[in-house]
Amino acid sequence: MTTASASASWRRYFWWNTDHKVIGVQYIVTSFFFFILGGALAGLVRAELASPATDLLDGATYNQVMTNHGTLMIFLWILPVLAGFGNYLIPLMIGARDMVFPRLNALSYWMIPPAGMLMIASFFAGGAEAGWTAYVPLSIGGPPGQTLWALSVMLLGISAIFGAINFMTTIIMMRAPGLSFWRLPLFVWGMIATSTLILTATPVLTSGLIMVALDRVVGTHFFTVTSGGDPVLWQNLFWFYSHPAVYIMILPAMGIISEIFPVFARKPIFGYRMIAMSSMAIAILGLTVWAHHMFTSGMDPRLRVPYMVSSMVIAVPTGIKIFSWLATIWYGKLRFTTPMLFALGFISMFLIGGLTGIFLAAIPVDLHVHDTYFVVAHLHFVLFGGSVSAVYAGLYYWFPKITGRMYDEKIGRTHFALNFIGTNLAYLPMFIAGLMGMPRRVSAYDVSFTSYNQLATLGALILAASTLPFLYNAVLSWARGPKAAANPWQALTLEWQTSSPPPPENFPEIPTATGDPYDYGEPSAPAAEPAAAPAAG
Amino acid sequence: MSQHAMQHAEDFRAGHALGLDHRKLGMWFFIASEVMFFGGLLAAFLHYKYTLGFPETAELNVVLVGINTMVLLTSSYTVVSALTAIRQGRQGRFIALLLLTILLGVAFLSGQIYEFADLYRQGVTLTSGVFGSSFFTLTGFHGLHVAAGVLWAIVTLFRGLRGTLNAEHNMAVEIFGLYWHFVDIVWIVLFTQIYLIV
Amino acid sequence: MQGSATRPEKSRPSYGVIFLGLVVLTVIELGINVLRILPPLSTALYLLFSGLKVALVAAFYMHLRKDSRLYTAVFVLPVLLLLVFALLTIAI
Repeated sequence: MTTASASASWRRYFWWNTDHKVIGVQYIVTSFFFFILGGALAGLVRAELASPATDLLDGATYNQVMTNHGTLMIFLWILPVLAGFGNYLIPLMIGARDMVFPRLNALSYWMIPPAGMLMIASFFAGGAEAGWTAYVPLSIGGPPGQTLWALSVMLLGISAIFGAINFMTTIIMMRAPGLSFWRLPLFVWGMIATSTLILTATPVLTSGLIMVALDRVVGTHFFTVTSGGDPVLWQNLFWFYSHPAVYIMILPAMGIISEIFPVFARKPIFGYRMIAMSSMAIAILGLTVWAHHMFTSGMDPRLRVPYMVSSMVIAVPTGIKIFSWLATIWYGKLRFTTPMLFALGFISMFLIGGLTGIFLAAIPVDLHVHDTYFVVAHLHFVLFGGSVSAVYAGLYYWFPKITGRMYDEKIGRTHFALNFIGTNLAYLPMFIAGLMGMPRRVSAYDVSFTSYNQLATLGALILAASTLPFLYNAVLSWARGPKAAANPWQALTLEWQTSSPPPPENFPEIPTATGDPYDYGEPSAPAAEPAAAPAAG
Repeated sequence: MSQHAMQHAEDFRAGHALGLDHRKLGMWFFIASEVMFFGGLLAAFLHYKYTLGFPETAELNVVLVGINTMVLLTSSYTVVSALTAIRQGRQGRFIALLLLTILLGVAFLSGQIYEFADLYRQGVTLTSGVFGSSFFTLTGFHGLHVAAGVLWAIVTLFRGLRGTLNAEHNMAVEIFGLYWHFVDIVWIVLFTQIYLIV
Repeated sequence: MQGSATRPEKSRPSYGVIFLGLVVLTVIELGINVLRILPPLSTALYLLFSGLKVALVAAFYMHLRKDSRLYTAVFVLPVLLLLVFALLTIAI
């Protein structure tokens, strides 16, 4: 790359650009910024909770910090970063030159910075205090920033819907010759399932947020209790989206894990079709179980049992995936690269999160642990131990493809070790605190919970520290790391059959898929025939 | 700014083999999301209708709005006839039918405004209670969608006048039509659930 | 390439006939209302007729009948999901 094109290349990330590879990086980098911000807020939470009394922040400020921590992490970090992976990888994995609607794609990204700024502004306008769940009537009467909060989330939802339209249409319309649905990489299947959820669930949240905003700004009576407004209505509208949202947050992550295990075990994935269909099953079931978040809301008790049963049933396709991954690496030729380490960490930590989810689905258990730290521990194990591990795994795995350079493996392993220890130390004690009765969303707690909170704060400190080697590695390697080959991992999916980074048109010639994407160690034909040998670097 | 992704028919080989057009598919996915959006607003309205009860329903002018419903149904007929016209190369007929569609859309909106004003006069407003809030929000968003459709129709009309849309290139008309018919479908449901079913 | 590959053209009702059907159904609905026919009969009829009208517009004006079944699935499945959501939201 000449100096002129090298300097031009970094500038294009700051402007309107319809190349899905640029947009993907924009999504990932922007989201990571909000990850740091959300993490800083988490640091404040853990600093406050290191001692039983409310001493660092006052109660209202704590509620704002806690609300924005959750909101930033969900809406401005994990959801968009996974969309970023989808954006970067889908056209490459299906052998296409770009998304079907490149300008809509750019628009989707460019809705995020203004939405993020709205969210940050809301914090200074009198921040939202009602938790990321914004239950009414608390969120109707709260500080002015709550309105900006609602507008920001609406904007992000619309951005996601446009993205999902793009993903689905692209995957259906633009697959390369020979790439039938049963030859799609599992990450792409994960994105099909995810896009289905985004399209069907997000608009319902949007409608609910409009009602909240109207109540606040114009004085409508959707949720004013004295006029007959029903707080449970908001819970239905909110959770109809927010439960599928957790699958939106995990399905792409599971897709990343499915990409990584076959490569670093040098074995075909076990149960390809079962994993693909499990993704779809999780998505479809996930649309029907939202009221398991409402067991204590006063909902009709007769309706609770069906929700419990259906929620537990989701464990089946999830379990199928976990067993398939284990079978994939069983007796494999394992390479413990950083992506592989994060993928292995994913299994153990997601398992803890997932199993505790089944506990929560049981109504009698939930009645005791609802809104306690048991839930906080559960959600952090699935989201942080799970999704974030997978994001890190993906960042390392595709780092050479995206940047054209190799990261430092030793620093990567250090990051993994700190992350793994920090996660477990931060969140395991919370299970016990919750079972013992510590409520969530409090800045002061009974003295008997102190040691658990101190352990958790220590874990959080380690997690904070763990981001430093990652950032150091990422920035320095991108700037000065050794040049990466087109296919440093010897993987079979199509993104590796072109240069690192790919040329603007992705492939000199559109490849033809001739085999399955995970036939490692098999004597069959290669997965694809590129028309020209890709150049390295 | 990359210009690499100029799309050619062969990019969509896989989808064409399934009998799909990418613009139609995109529009149908958009429509799916709109189903759920109106669904949320409608669910709120119906929740309160069947738990609290809506005495204000007696103030609604079913016959007037029924006529308005006919207006919107007619506009769906003119839209699909316009599509047939342009596919047959009958540019003049296409323009006329689109104009008629626009007029019918404006007529529908006028009817809605008249109905809203009438309700306001009777004290049923956006902020007068749960009925007012959910009714005006639901029908208001539908009206906004009709207004957006009217604007889209005007744009389509100009493209037809310029000749950008013609017998060979008219997918944009079909896409517009899908949107317009969907908005009509939403109204059919709203008319039934708000005005007819007590 | 303009249109999608459609299923073989069987003879289909014209758009005008469909329009007539829509008008007739609406007139009947208004008749039920004006004649003050009572629920549950009126409700059942309204649901039936509105469902028919939606189906007519979707199948013929939006060409779902002759186009790829995927479009139909993309439309119908959210409608079913919405029905489930609305019913449960009313009930809970």
